[in-house]
Amino acid sequence: MASSPAALKSVTAPISKVRERIGRLPWWLQLAVVVGLAMLVPLYNDDYVTSIGVSVLTFAMLGLGLNIVVGYAGLLDLGYAAFFAIGAYTTAIMTVKLGFNFWTTLLPAIAFAGMAGAILGYPTLRLRSDYLAIVTLGFGEIVRILFTNWDYVDGPNGVWNIPSPSLFGFDLVDQNSYYVIGVILVLIAIIFARNLSYSRLGRGWVAVREDEFAAEAVGVPTLNLKLLAYSMGGMWAGLAGAFFASRVSAINPSSFTFLLSSQILILIIIGGLGSLPGVILGAIVVVGLPELLRGLQNARFLIFAALLILIMLFRPGGLWPQVRARRAPFVGLEDEEEKQAAERPFKLQPSVAEGEAILRVQGLAQRFGGVKAVDDVSFDVRRGEILSMIGPNGAGKTTVFNCITGVQRPKAGRIEFDGRPLGRLKPHSIVRRGMARTFQGIRLFKLMAVFENVMIGASVRERNLPWQALLHSRGERRDERRALKEARYWLRFVGLEEEAGRLATELSYADQRRVEIARALASEPMLVLLDEPAAGMNPTEKLELMRMVRRIRDRGVTVVLIDHDMSLVMNVSDRVVVLDRGQVIAMGTPAEVQNNPRVIEAYLGRDDADEEAELAEATGGA
Amino acid sequence: MSIFIQYTVNGLTAGAFYALVALGYTIIYGIIRLINFAHGDLTMVGSFIGWTVLVSMGLQRLPVFLAIALAALASMVVTSVINVGILQFAYKPLLNKSLLAILITALGMSIFLQNAALLVFGAGVQAYPHLVTSSGVFIGGVRISYAQSIFFTISLVLMAGLYSFARFTTLGTAMRALAVDHDAARLMGINVNRVIAIAFILAAILAAAAGVMIGLYYTQINFFLGFLLGLRAFTSAVLGGIGNIPGAMAGGLVIGLLESYCAGYLSGRWQDVFVFGVLITVLIIKPTGLFGERVAERM
Amino acid sequence: MALLEVDDIHVFYGNIEALRGLSIQVDGGEMVAVLGSNGAGKTTTLRTLSGLERARAGSVRFDDQDITRTAAHEIVGRGLCQVPEGRRIFTTLTVAENLALGGYLMRNRQQELRQRRDVVYETFPRLAERRGQLAGTLSGGEQQMLAIGRALMTQPRLITLDEPSLGLSPLLARAILKIVRRFADEGVAVLVVEQNARQALAVADRAYVLETGRIVLEGAASDLAADERVQKAYLGGFEQIVEEEEGREKEKEKEDPSPLGGG
Repeated sequence: MASSPAALKSVTAPISKVRERIGRLPWWLQLAVVVGLAMLVPLYNDDYVTSIGVSVLTFAMLGLGLNIVVGYAGLLDLGYAAFFAIGAYTTAIMTVKLGFNFWTTLLPAIAFAGMAGAILGYPTLRLRSDYLAIVTLGFGEIVRILFTNWDYVDGPNGVWNIPSPSLFGFDLVDQNSYYVIGVILVLIAIIFARNLSYSRLGRGWVAVREDEFAAEAVGVPTLNLKLLAYSMGGMWAGLAGAFFASRVSAINPSSFTFLLSSQILILIIIGGLGSLPGVILGAIVVVGLPELLRGLQNARFLIFAALLILIMLFRPGGLWPQVRARRAPFVGLEDEEEKQAAERPFKLQPSVAEGEAILRVQGLAQRFGGVKAVDDVSFDVRRGEILSMIGPNGAGKTTVFNCITGVQRPKAGRIEFDGRPLGRLKPHSIVRRGMARTFQGIRLFKLMAVFENVMIGASVRERNLPWQALLHSRGERRDERRALKEARYWLRFVGLEEEAGRLATELSYADQRRVEIARALASEPMLVLLDEPAAGMNPTEKLELMRMVRRIRDRGVTVVLIDHDMSLVMNVSDRVVVLDRGQVIAMGTPAEVQNNPRVIEAYLGRDDADEEAELAEATGGA
Repeated sequence: MSIFIQYTVNGLTAGAFYALVALGYTIIYGIIRLINFAHGDLTMVGSFIGWTVLVSMGLQRLPVFLAIALAALASMVVTSVINVGILQFAYKPLLNKSLLAILITALGMSIFLQNAALLVFGAGVQAYPHLVTSSGVFIGGVRISYAQSIFFTISLVLMAGLYSFARFTTLGTAMRALAVDHDAARLMGINVNRVIAIAFILAAILAAAAGVMIGLYYTQINFFLGFLLGLRAFTSAVLGGIGNIPGAMAGGLVIGLLESYCAGYLSGRWQDVFVFGVLITVLIIKPTGLFGERVAERM
Repeated sequence: MALLEVDDIHVFYGNIEALRGLSIQVDGGEMVAVLGSNGAGKTTTLRTLSGLERARAGSVRFDDQDITRTAAHEIVGRGLCQVPEGRRIFTTLTVAENLALGGYLMRNRQQELRQRRDVVYETFPRLAERRGQLAGTLSGGEQQMLAIGRALMTQPRLITLDEPSLGLSPLLARAILKIVRRFADEGVAVLVVEQNARQALAVADRAYVLETGRIVLEGAASDLAADERVQKAYLGGFEQIVEEEEGREKEKEKEDPSPLGGG
């Protein structure tokens, strides 16, 4: 089989292999080695080299923060220097104007920058990522201009004589001590960033980046997470700003331009989106490369830009792309007894009795641009049954699903779930209430591992707070372990435990569908909606699917199924609802529906006599 | 009242330049979803090409309109070649791979063009000859320089030309079709790569025209002028609804006016804050800009 | 020599093999249907023919020339045009502009274009009424007519249609298929992909049944319409297996209840 991908692989394989080798070491060991290497720099005892090192550290701190916003959550930010400025000015004002000690300014610097993040984030939540580019750029410029015109901080002249920090009576003035402080701060920032990356939050952010719509629909509170990303990203920059202000001892607005924002963005993207080693590498490239080229004088930024473009052309994924695949994600997880599995902490008990309507849809109507997609649809789903919804393409089945799961707002109608109306709940809240779904076209989070995809579902009712994720606290670790166990349990349920560590994209079509089902089930729903789960499956796979659907029902989960495959539908369903042109045309047991003449007509078509009239009518001819 | 009209005249002139540059952003964004950060700098390069022709090569001694026409023509040719080069070299290989990677190469191109200009033309300010700025007419206390009236007219003609091209020719229609669906366009036999290249040439022509007029109007240029200009122009494009050609024209004029009024009635220090404030407010109320966006839904 | 000859093509999306050695033929003036369930590879087949996807192995020959690696826009010029799934009309352009783009390759031959446009308007009088309207404001059926009309403008010798009845009422779906049939009668070969098996078989000359990237059945449309296996292939083709397996399962379950099965 001919293969340019294979040829490409032979080139990139050695790099990937090294990366993989290193990646197999425990992460704290990797970090220790990096810190050890970093500490060699002051030993060189050259102030010039060390000061470049300090700059690398500052940029690394900034990169780690922007990485949360752009790398994890996928929100473009071109005004990140603003948060850096806010941190720097907080420290400058507090030390110079108000006489505070440097160390006491760190928290306020972080807090103010975090608040600024929330202020920027809030109005922009609904904007698409390309618009974020200009809004964040504008925000960056506005903050810079505000400082330039603020007389209290001497406008364009800025603040001078920012004192250096002291520790145990020693003044830390020379580059070496700044370097050491910088290494410590970056180390803390890396640990925090890593904790975030492999937490409920980190997975939620990556899910938002990969597919915001699907993330919301499987239970991720996307708006909150985006706001949090801006805010946390701001905090990192606040810390870097405080450090920077005290190090350079004089700051002015011209240090916080668009150029800086774009440099930070460049560094995380050449490093590799979302990748922590990438941030460090990127910082070294963005700071170090121009220094290396210093001999070229005026041409150095020209060459720098050219090299930058070349890096992007040859490694569009960055120098050290993040790979969320994991070799053996469940190692060290004690084996769970089936009995334990039965008492699941987040298992919801329906309040309606077996056989009563757990989902009630009344008079549902939806239209798109004048076209009635769904018109006055009413039906009940009884607790404990398997209900299928069938109908020709375009009959409105998926639209009904979308209205039920809150993805679309119906124009009219009432939807009651487990005895309570759903009203205008957001999709993720509906998932929390106990309704989960899969998608017609597969919508897994592609660059996440299979088990992480399932963990997204397993975490929807977790209550741990952001700081717990940041510190990787005991409660958060417990939740994580639980979610991981859940992921394993449900992957076993769908027969994919062996594939858990691979990236979702690497799986076959049918397996991806099964992961979707596992992701939905992991949220412990009372009702699960499966949208064309058999599409693209071969007969054997369909058979397995059919059994799986029954097993799901046997666990007490009510199932609503959309599929075109009549034999699947007729074999597995307790009842069938038939939709045609947005209306329910039949409802009943499979046998009743199968013999309904209207169903036969809508689905299979009827040979009619009066062809010419039909034709003219349809095309608008006389 | 007359001072208001004066601000309006000044604002419209600057706004016309923004609109020409904004059209470049909007055309390119419309068809390949790229915020071409290098576009402001391309305009700067265009301005320097015009300066080279007029000053270094001495064409300013020719009759005024011939000199300007030749400078503009040379600038258009050179910027077109550069822009297509940028497309082929830096953007094309990444087109269907990663939008973020292209964004970074665009940023890289911006830095590259700035520093290339810095190397070739130096860090200082270069003076354009005073060919059209010296005289003007007073109408009821409002001074309208010849430069203002001529450049505003030329800008309008160029915009009308672009609009008619996009609106009435098959090629222009194909360009608008790309904003909707690349694959469907391929299925009509449209050579998508070629149409993209043509869009880059159009963007470059408008940028060159704006660059030369800006040089002649403000009479001073430097390597950094592309940044602020690009920022304003991009803001204009977004304000009007990115991808939307009449939107970019209107957006440019609106930004020019806002800026002029703000500088006149409030303070020049706050004009960027004011402009961005308006933009952000508009986007919050109407996330697709004043006139709605026209962009490709899939790549 | 057939007009279109597809020989053993394999097409991949990443690691997923969407077409696993597919071969089909279409003769001039013939209407051929490809049936199959969602995900069977019907759309991938048409996209590969049009050059929007590349076959990793195998060949596509059109009019005796190899077009396996030909660019999509050139394939249109050779006379193979696709009406894509979901119509994919240019919603922000008018009806007339959409048609004009169909004539993009002949844009310098206005005379000829005008003639073709008149033919399209004759076939679909509704389009003539709406020529100045934005295509996005048309109803589903009108959009489908526009998509077909737009393809007719390219002067195709083979027109491929991906689920033309998608989202249309049965009446309209039938009408569209009958119009397409008329093209074949007038000498333009037609390859139509459909889920609506009964209707497609009623108008086509021949048909293929596609399942998970392979042709599992082929023959004259009238034969296939009567064939029990077609119903099965259309219905998913595993009813038999289900019955057999289920029987066996029940035997087994009596002896050894599955640990995960019980609730």
